[in-house]
Amino acid sequence: MNDDYSSKWGYRLKWLYTLLVVTTLMLPVFFVMYISFNENGFGARDYDFTFEWYGLIFSDLLMMDAITSTLILSAITVIFVVPMGLITAKLYKITQYPLTVVSLMLSPLFVPSDILGAALLVFFKNLNGAFTLFGEWVGVSWFDTWFDLGYFSAIVGLIIYTLPYVFVVILITMGRYRKEQTEAARSCGATAWQAFWHVEFPQIKAGIFSSCAFTLILCFNEYTRTSLLKGGFDTFTTVLVSQMLNEGMSEQSYAMSSLVSYIAIAIIGSVIIFTLVRSERLERIARAKAEPLMAS
Amino acid sequence: MFWMKPAFTLFAYENFFTSARVDNFLASMGHSSISVLIAFVIGFPIAVFVRRRVPQVAQHRVILLFILPFAVSEIIRIFALRPFLQRNGLVNDVLLKIGVINEPITAILFTPTGVIIGEVMSFLPFIVFSGFLAMEAVPKYVFEICEDLGAGPIRVFIDVIMPLAAPGIFAGSLFIFVNGLGVALLPNILGGPGAVNAGLIATQAISALDFPLAMAVSAIMMATLLGLLYIGHRLFNLTRILTPLS
Repeated sequence: MNDDYSSKWGYRLKWLYTLLVVTTLMLPVFFVMYISFNENGFGARDYDFTFEWYGLIFSDLLMMDAITSTLILSAITVIFVVPMGLITAKLYKITQYPLTVVSLMLSPLFVPSDILGAALLVFFKNLNGAFTLFGEWVGVSWFDTWFDLGYFSAIVGLIIYTLPYVFVVILITMGRYRKEQTEAARSCGATAWQAFWHVEFPQIKAGIFSSCAFTLILCFNEYTRTSLLKGGFDTFTTVLVSQMLNEGMSEQSYAMSSLVSYIAIAIIGSVIIFTLVRSERLERIARAKAEPLMAS
Repeated sequence: MFWMKPAFTLFAYENFFTSARVDNFLASMGHSSISVLIAFVIGFPIAVFVRRRVPQVAQHRVILLFILPFAVSEIIRIFALRPFLQRNGLVNDVLLKIGVINEPITAILFTPTGVIIGEVMSFLPFIVFSGFLAMEAVPKYVFEICEDLGAGPIRVFIDVIMPLAAPGIFAGSLFIFVNGLGVALLPNILGGPGAVNAGLIATQAISALDFPLAMAVSAIMMATLLGLLYIGHRLFNLTRILTPLS
């Protein structure tokens, strides 16, 4: 039979093409990294290698404040969105209406960021207006700031944005898990929590940790929803945009963007290596179990 | 405090359909369609290759490679495209050096072409992800049968892969199409006067505090999306995409 393995060059060429496409997609990222090591900054004629901008990252107080607030936003979003994704993935496994669940969960993916951000902005503005009127009606000012643009509205936007990704990642890792395992644990006297923690969680923890990492990366790099729903220029991406629009990105910003990229690439790389090691270990165990059977 | 006074009116829709905005919307639909086509031509063969030829244990990790670009903010990625596409940028430099062109091309950056390049660079991984999922519907033995029967790669693609993987391909294409139509950042940073999409119209309306117009554009955009989803479901039965997740 004709197979690509018989044509090693065809197989290698396809690999080369795949890696070429990945590299092309990564070109802008590599370019930012390249600029971050240039002493003369972006657009300069001469290139002098330096680590200076990395040393100065922490002296940019505006950027440091922005990163702190972005980390707070990302951490709170992770705390809420991962349990939500887990619960809905579990619901998907047992529901009689999987199409409805999955359509609802994935629908935000198909709504562009500007449209969703704009819709939520108008929603919060109206909600705020309604609550303020209600406060005036009952004679208290307590409700006036409940739905002001800020952390709360931004986190709602980020949860809607990241929930489909978390749902899909957890659902994929749940593929091997069978609900009969939980039923067996419950039959043996385990509580619902014990059955989850000791039986289900060990099998899906890779998906849960991956979704935590993925959510952090997505929230950290998100601009449109954050800028529309948080207001002001005080998050990582909004500070970058304000720099771009005014005096151009500072050299420290290129260094900071590169640093974020290194961290994110390291996280994704670790996930790839972790799953590689884990799947090889599982395969080794499966082979070891199968060998005595084959020998007999 | 600024707040809208509730009252029913279709003025925002009239404003949209009787101005140049509708022409921009239709033009951006055209640009998005081109982006979908380019992303499909570049990305889908990768999904087929990974599913068919890469050993099972390595398949997901190859697909994970396409997540790497998302490790960096979309803004930085799009902004970093400027030095590549500008008059004295890397693309022109390379083309000049290899002798394909005699003078720099100026019609890349700040034109619809720049936006299309940005859309392909930003959304191509999604056609790889959805294509990979879609190829789950094409069992490996089908390819072996086709090869045994002597079918060529183009025949296999048109008569076997396309009908079986159509729901996944459609979902990936729709994702790119609606994002090309709705993400304002791309025309904002890479486009010029002729590259305005629905997302940009909506954000410009918000900046002008014209919330009804922004919501009208969003509603038209959502109606377009739902219409396309309905057509896709009627044609390809989109529930088939869920099989690998069950």
